[in-house]
Amino acid sequence: MEPLTWTGIFAPLNYALMAAVVIFAIGFVLQLFRPLYAPADTDITINPDGTASARFTFADIPSEAMKYSVYAVVIVALIFIAGGIFLNHQAGILGAMAHQFTPVWIALLVTYALSIKFKRNLGLYGKLFDSPIGMIGFGLVMFWVFTALFTGVFGMIATHEPLEQLVRMKNEGPGAPVEGVDDPSAYYSHYLLGGDNLARDVFTRMVEGSVIVILIAPFATIFAFMVGITLGLPAGYYGGRLDTLLSFAANLILAFPVILLFYLLVTPEIRETGIPTYMGMVLFLFPIIFFAILIHSKYRTRPEVNTPLLIGVVGTLSIIYISTINQSGTPIDFLNFIDLFDVAGGILTVFVSVVFVNSPTVFRIVRGLALDIKTRDYVAAAQTRGEGPFYIMLWEILPNARGPLIVDFCLRIGYTTILLGTLGFFGLGLPPESPDWGATINEGRKLLSVYPHPAIVPAVALLSLVLGLNLLADGLREQSLKD
Amino acid sequence: MEKWDYDGPILEIDKLSISFFTRAGEIPAVMDFSARVMPGEALGLVGESGCGKSTVALGVMQDLGVNGKVVGGSIKFKGRDLSKMSQKELRDLRGSEIAMIYQEPMASLNPAMKIGKQLMEVPMIHEGASKEAARKLALEVIEAVRLPDPPRILEAFPHQLSGGQQQRIVIAMALMSKPSLLILDEPTTALDVTVEAGIVDLVKDLGEKFGTSMLFISHNLGLVLDTCDRLCVMYSGEAVERGSIADVFDQMRHPYTQALFRSIPLPGADKNERPLVAIRGNFPLPHERPPGCNFGPRCDYFVEGRCDQGYIYMEPIDGNERHESRCLRTTEIDWDAPVQASDTTDKVSAGDVVLKVDDMKKYYEVAANAMFGGAEKRVVKANETISFEARESETLAIVGESGCGKSTLAKVLMGLETATDGQVTMLNKAIEQVPIEDRSTKDVSTLQMVFQNPFDTLNPSMTVGAQIVRALEIFGVGNNQPERQQRMLELLDLVKLPREFATRMPRQLSGGQKQRVGIARAFAGSAQIVVADEPVSALDVSVQAAVTDLLMEIQRENKTTLLFISHDLSIVRYLSDRVMVMYLGHVVEMGDTDDVFSPPYHPYTEALLSAVPIADTRVEKKRIVLEGDIPSAMNPPSGCPFQTRCRHKGNVEGNLCETEVPPMNTLADGHQIKCHLTDKYLDEMEPVIKIAAE
Repeated sequence: MEPLTWTGIFAPLNYALMAAVVIFAIGFVLQLFRPLYAPADTDITINPDGTASARFTFADIPSEAMKYSVYAVVIVALIFIAGGIFLNHQAGILGAMAHQFTPVWIALLVTYALSIKFKRNLGLYGKLFDSPIGMIGFGLVMFWVFTALFTGVFGMIATHEPLEQLVRMKNEGPGAPVEGVDDPSAYYSHYLLGGDNLARDVFTRMVEGSVIVILIAPFATIFAFMVGITLGLPAGYYGGRLDTLLSFAANLILAFPVILLFYLLVTPEIRETGIPTYMGMVLFLFPIIFFAILIHSKYRTRPEVNTPLLIGVVGTLSIIYISTINQSGTPIDFLNFIDLFDVAGGILTVFVSVVFVNSPTVFRIVRGLALDIKTRDYVAAAQTRGEGPFYIMLWEILPNARGPLIVDFCLRIGYTTILLGTLGFFGLGLPPESPDWGATINEGRKLLSVYPHPAIVPAVALLSLVLGLNLLADGLREQSLKD
Repeated sequence: MEKWDYDGPILEIDKLSISFFTRAGEIPAVMDFSARVMPGEALGLVGESGCGKSTVALGVMQDLGVNGKVVGGSIKFKGRDLSKMSQKELRDLRGSEIAMIYQEPMASLNPAMKIGKQLMEVPMIHEGASKEAARKLALEVIEAVRLPDPPRILEAFPHQLSGGQQQRIVIAMALMSKPSLLILDEPTTALDVTVEAGIVDLVKDLGEKFGTSMLFISHNLGLVLDTCDRLCVMYSGEAVERGSIADVFDQMRHPYTQALFRSIPLPGADKNERPLVAIRGNFPLPHERPPGCNFGPRCDYFVEGRCDQGYIYMEPIDGNERHESRCLRTTEIDWDAPVQASDTTDKVSAGDVVLKVDDMKKYYEVAANAMFGGAEKRVVKANETISFEARESETLAIVGESGCGKSTLAKVLMGLETATDGQVTMLNKAIEQVPIEDRSTKDVSTLQMVFQNPFDTLNPSMTVGAQIVRALEIFGVGNNQPERQQRMLELLDLVKLPREFATRMPRQLSGGQKQRVGIARAFAGSAQIVVADEPVSALDVSVQAAVTDLLMEIQRENKTTLLFISHDLSIVRYLSDRVMVMYLGHVVEMGDTDDVFSPPYHPYTEALLSAVPIADTRVEKKRIVLEGDIPSAMNPPSGCPFQTRCRHKGNVEGNLCETEVPPMNTLADGHQIKCHLTDKYLDEMEPVIKIAAE
């Protein structure tokens, strides 16, 4: 069987793509020097219908050309994807990948169609669809979220097993055919993005890696936020000694070199002493505290709602909590009768360390916001009608601090993702054969000059996810300011 | 740039239209606006927020931002069309020929640069003056704006000066280049009344001294009366009436101007016999303007088929020079008809004492370091021996400028702070040492508060209904949610808001509507005593009257005691039964409203009364401008708190004022004055405000 080319039967479109890129580059350079050959302010005329329009001059040609070249690139990319979905291997590696990702495309399409249709009723999330930057960012993020979902839950997308080794495929380049498969249209007929030095499929490992990243990063960030909020609100609201003390502790953690801290936390000797597990015990307690106070402060005047709700939520969370921290073989090994599930030790440690280093920063942001918002009249109004301090913190201050917090949340998931990559790169935490992106980059690094693809593929994946998160944060910030 | 001479008007705006272009389409901000400012003339631009007055100023500066655009008409400065000037020419013009002064002085000064350097920059950039010449000029100008010790001021950073001093520096900076036109955009709104009076005096004098023309933008008719020669009233993007001060104030020919004057409390207005007439309805949003006359839907003289048809032009008024009005019915309306008094009500007599404050003191200790409480602790005396009583269904006004301790007093009453010394008794219960968390639900709901800033008083992320229901829950009103829902809807009725508002978010409400919700929330637990902390000062004039009316109506029905905190003496005179004047934590004068507003006065009250601008040409005021600023409560003057600024100090024997705090001197009818002046001297005081016979 022939190895696949990148674009297959769409090869002629490559010239169009190249032309578009060249035109864009020229236009960009010309646009840079625009002040040299064009007057600063354009002639804007007002039309009778109340719209304004600028007169077209020769100086506008570069920007127009750039615009159309971007359109051209987008159209070509769409042709590759659409063609790939239907033509599969005939459309080359890109086509085959597009075909594998079919469920993701459908999910994205449905998400966008529904969101744009109902964007006026969806609050800040709906406003995201007024900002092109935010939409691109959201698209990139959701692409990986759906990929992780379909791979992890439904077992779709991946073409092979992440640990499956087909000896002949060692270090083969992208599009290499799998020996012994006769049907050229079978999904497992090629290593779409080549094989790594242990002869595993790079494409599959990238897709499988997304599951780990998408699972840990947002969850770790949520936990970091719970810890940061639960400590930051009282620090900002009460001020005084408590604030000084907590801020000092936060500064202490922030001052400690992060990588060194990670090394310490994940080295086996330290892990045997149980320090990470004990830390987990403390850190994982915060969500329970958070939700208990949240519910009680709101419904304390209505016991008929308060009691069942508290029992339900705190009960469920406690069971999850006990199951999470209980591990056979670790110092915390009790109450095994309600230990519903075990979390792999490596993941737990990684989780704890990520939460531990992220929460002080969240703490500082929340504290600052609380300091600002507590001077508002509605906080004074709540105080003068005798509300408890925790109601004020969680129901008067926190909802009004949500704008900056949501933005920071997105940025922080990106930061956490990179942190996970770094951890994987240093071989810390997760087991060495794990397909997470950081570890794969590290694996691929060894033969980078000869076979770059095993390292580049996960690196690009990591880049696109973090880029997406940053763009999403930008879009949210832009839109939340308009409110 | 060369300044050129021109004989005609300094500024000539002809049929100016300005629009802002947004994604939602064009928003016309100013339409068909014409004005002329002659050399040495001061033109006042008056209107409510959102009427386009600041946009006109920005249009004159040709600084409308990326999405603003002059869509019609022209602006001529000294005969040259500003829209035809290049960016460079405009840059030279701004700051040298046209100078602008904004509302927030701190925002106009560079906080990282010394005052002297900022001032000297102006002539150095515009005229290429030498450093020495610039410094000399700076010293002169600082002298001209009456700041003490100019060399020291030149070396100061902006944050080292008080708000009033900063605004003087901004004015000085504007004067550095001897501009032909000075644009003042609400220059005193952020300042205290007595400081404002100083600035207004200064601006007026400078206008006369340098012959500078002025465009004075304000929402305060009284201020415009004090400073301007001519006046232009704007409403919803259009000039509705234009003329000399005398013509517009005394022979107004536009229903909006008339309604505006009827909604502000002028001397003579009385809450029972001559209540204010609020303008009904709401200010139209720029994209929801009605056809025909913009003011039509809110106008008492509206005629269907005429006022809502076609475009209405400015028409000159017969008999007056340069007096125009944008009304079709100027000749038909009987402008001198007496105000149709809405509903006169009977005076409610005060009942039993419900709140008694006796020798209350509140000191704060300020430590230098929170963690390691150092040895040095400074005491801020926020409230010093405050005593007063408030009776049922009485309105007690607490008057004073910022820093006088009125907010601290409110905090102690509410239980957010506990008193350092003295007693506070509410309904025969001592509450001075009971913080809010230890008060019973009933006590908390009995004493409630209405806040100042309508944009801040409601939680932006909760619906209006939910916020009121929450207050009901906390006060233990109703047994279940449906009952509270019902009660919440009734409360909305009480404050005259439609019931649909229950599901709205605060951002969908106007300032006045938010303030109404705030009032509804305060009365959720049928409060008997309500502390209203400047409840209307942040609202537009036409809305102020309506909210004030509402407060008083609820007060009459519920026999509520109202503690009305304010710095606006006009509104205090209108609605309060008794007045308490505070200065630096002391009560300096207390008595019935009529007693306080007529001599004998405490010297501070006298100055305060004189400082308040009154929009009535019949009123003659004695001008008393206080020197200096309010001393810091951290470092109060010895003896009488007011002695540093008092103009009567010389009439007290010896140095009594500097050494001893004066005792409370009780005059007739329980009128108390904290002053060393003898009764005889006090009796000889002249009234500050005189109303000329009609």
